[in-house]
Amino acid sequence: MLEIKPIFNALRRSKVGAILLLIQIAITTAIVSNAAFIIQDRLTFLQQETGYPEEDIFTLSVMTFGKDRDLSQQFEQDEQMIRNLPGVVDAALTNAVPLSGSGSASGMRLTPSSEQTDRNIRSAYLQGDDHLINTLGLQIDEGRGFRADEVIVSQDRSQISNVAVVTRTFLEEAFPDGDGLGNTIYWGGAPMKIVGVINQAKGPWLHDSRPDNLVFMPTVRAANYQHIVVRTEPGQRASVMRSIEDQMLTAYDKRVINYVVGLDEHKRQYNASDTLMMRMLMVLIVVLIAVTALGIFGLTLFNISKRTRQIGTRRALGARKSDIVRYFMVENSMICIGGLVIGCAGAVFMGQQLLTHFSLPALNPWYVVMTALAVFAITLCAVILPARRAANISPSVATRSI
Amino acid sequence: MFVHYLDLGWRSLRRTPLVSLLMVLAIATGIGITMTSLSVYHMMSMDPIPHKSTQLYHPQLQTMDDGEESWSEDNLPYQLTYQDAKNLAESEFPVNKAAMMRSGFTLHLPDSEVRPTIENTRITHRPFFALFDVPFVYGGPWTQEQAEAGNAVVVISSTINERLFGGADSVGKQVYLDETLFTIVGVTAPWQTHMKFYDVNNGAFNNHENIYIPFELIEPMSIDTWGNTNGWKFENIRSFKDKLASEVFWFQFWVELPDQQAKQRYEEFLMAYMAEQRELGRYNREQLQFGLRDVNSWLDYRNVVSEDNQILVALSFMFLAVCLANIIGLLLAKFMRRAPEVGVRRALGASKRQVFLQHIVEVSLLGLAGGIIGIGITHMGLWGVRISQEYYTPLATMDLSMLLAAPVIAISACILAGLYPAWLVCRTTPATHLKTQ
Repeated sequence: MLEIKPIFNALRRSKVGAILLLIQIAITTAIVSNAAFIIQDRLTFLQQETGYPEEDIFTLSVMTFGKDRDLSQQFEQDEQMIRNLPGVVDAALTNAVPLSGSGSASGMRLTPSSEQTDRNIRSAYLQGDDHLINTLGLQIDEGRGFRADEVIVSQDRSQISNVAVVTRTFLEEAFPDGDGLGNTIYWGGAPMKIVGVINQAKGPWLHDSRPDNLVFMPTVRAANYQHIVVRTEPGQRASVMRSIEDQMLTAYDKRVINYVVGLDEHKRQYNASDTLMMRMLMVLIVVLIAVTALGIFGLTLFNISKRTRQIGTRRALGARKSDIVRYFMVENSMICIGGLVIGCAGAVFMGQQLLTHFSLPALNPWYVVMTALAVFAITLCAVILPARRAANISPSVATRSI
Repeated sequence: MFVHYLDLGWRSLRRTPLVSLLMVLAIATGIGITMTSLSVYHMMSMDPIPHKSTQLYHPQLQTMDDGEESWSEDNLPYQLTYQDAKNLAESEFPVNKAAMMRSGFTLHLPDSEVRPTIENTRITHRPFFALFDVPFVYGGPWTQEQAEAGNAVVVISSTINERLFGGADSVGKQVYLDETLFTIVGVTAPWQTHMKFYDVNNGAFNNHENIYIPFELIEPMSIDTWGNTNGWKFENIRSFKDKLASEVFWFQFWVELPDQQAKQRYEEFLMAYMAEQRELGRYNREQLQFGLRDVNSWLDYRNVVSEDNQILVALSFMFLAVCLANIIGLLLAKFMRRAPEVGVRRALGASKRQVFLQHIVEVSLLGLAGGIIGIGITHMGLWGVRISQEYYTPLATMDLSMLLAAPVIAISACILAGLYPAWLVCRTTPATHLKTQ
């Protein structure tokens, strides 16, 4: 019915063209399935929920060079001033900015000793006063937040708070039995009782091995180079950001305000290389498919012009237009399926190579299957137009030149 | 003859404009995509200081107790402790060596209305400038005497000099770094290296610091780092003094060892130094261990070329292969259709070699056109890279070698693609085709 045998025989006589097409389809399948998988991987990464209302939060950095004022006191006043600005919901000092790619992390232990054998749980930590959690737009989902009297304001590094609020992920890793709330963790030998749990809050590094582990400590240690985080009413952020430098310098001028940046912008900068990779792969896929499709289109067009007389003869002998179209479709499908089989094997092989040489997750076989189907569909589309043109060749062409 | 071939090639391309266009577009996009990722790769992996890269070494010392793990692949810490940095810098051999770290200050002029700015600062020893051949516009590095006396002296970049002094010779003038008055001793000229190879901790492609001050000021001024600090054991660090005496790593260190002999001597020196320190109670381990890598192996070791970029380069070359397969197919079809014409030429006395060459010239023409359009596409691609990732701005450019590489790759790829079709067409026997005419 499909005349596979004669088509195959005809193909064997023009091997090279068919093989070239086959190679093209194979490489295209291998590249596209792997690239599509990497794109999907990055897309999931870029769109992940962070737990923060990123559009309403911004941060600023303050570098103080004046030595005539007490830093802790000055920043206490600054916090009050910012909180009272119109449009501001809350503000707090922080030792690090979430999602920004810079911060502090440590191994939290479950016992006071610092023996090597002890299990320690890697976690980032944020230090600030009782306003910090609210400023970041986070909610305590279990337990309680910090009380004002628990906040330690000191430049002395040895004074460490004795309570902590942690993320759910951290709690479950530290206390898998579910008895974490109310239990104690140790940071460099100092005990901290877990008083509250936040369901979701990402740490400073989305690429960290533990991006969801975050411990909040009610400690304010004003530094010469200090970050302040501010949350505004929705839509008010831009205007507050514009005026904040002047407001801060009016309060005290022996300092420099810089890096007034939205939290979403922090995230965008941290993720820039992933965004770039994704975009480049997208361009690659689109162009690759276009080139392959155009190639098939061009090649079929040529084959048809080469076989004009043959087609005319077939038509004269009674072949219908649909037979001619089918001939080209079947011929192309045969090459395409051959290419796809090689391409799928190539895709899996390439996925393994990428897995061993680079830190990429293992290729999901569904991507290979979906890509193969898509490539098949696209090649058919690329053939149908020239095949229709071939079908329109008049039978008289065959007789004319005899 | 060549001009004649060019003419024939041009006519032939014009006879099938659609197919020619398809082929040129295929090679152009192939070149465009490949050159975009290759240009970034080229800039990332380029030797930052070619005339000296085999003479500059970064030593690493294994200070950690037995059984402690670092992040690096060979378990050596990337940076040095303050004690080691200071001790290694005080040794007599070799001459050019410098410890360094990144910090920052607010910069402002005395009695100025201009708002102070925050500036990244490199704290280092005097030989830093000689080590890396840092060019100067005015003045030069501070003297050893100034450094040892703890004088507040500073070298600024021409960017800062332009902003504060309008580009005039500012040597001898004074600026405030935080609340300390510093005297300018030198102004550096723009530094022609795109990579901060001497400190890759916080991104190898960030800008160079604009301010340099002596390492000797760290203790009196309590200057802490703005770069990375890594520890491996719990140390109760309460004050800056504690940090200086601690085992945390926060310094980079470079030495210039002009030949193999010097390198060997330095290796022996490092071993002797560690043995001496072990006597003093540090280096609590069985086997003393150090690392000594030159610039390029250091960059390789620190994985300066991003993984994503390597993947992209590999993928884009595969893409180029697809474009080539495409072109071979089209050329084959095109050339074979012209077989009768070739038959006539052969019958009129053209040799196989001439026919072959003529077709190679024709595909080279395709390659040239594709390469030139490809450069345009590459520039578009690099522009896209720059707007996606500001950090890559110094990398997303085509230097001269890449600009020349584009048409060379395009033409050789096209010739490669044209070999088989051209060979096939020059084999045509004149008789068969003459018969059908």
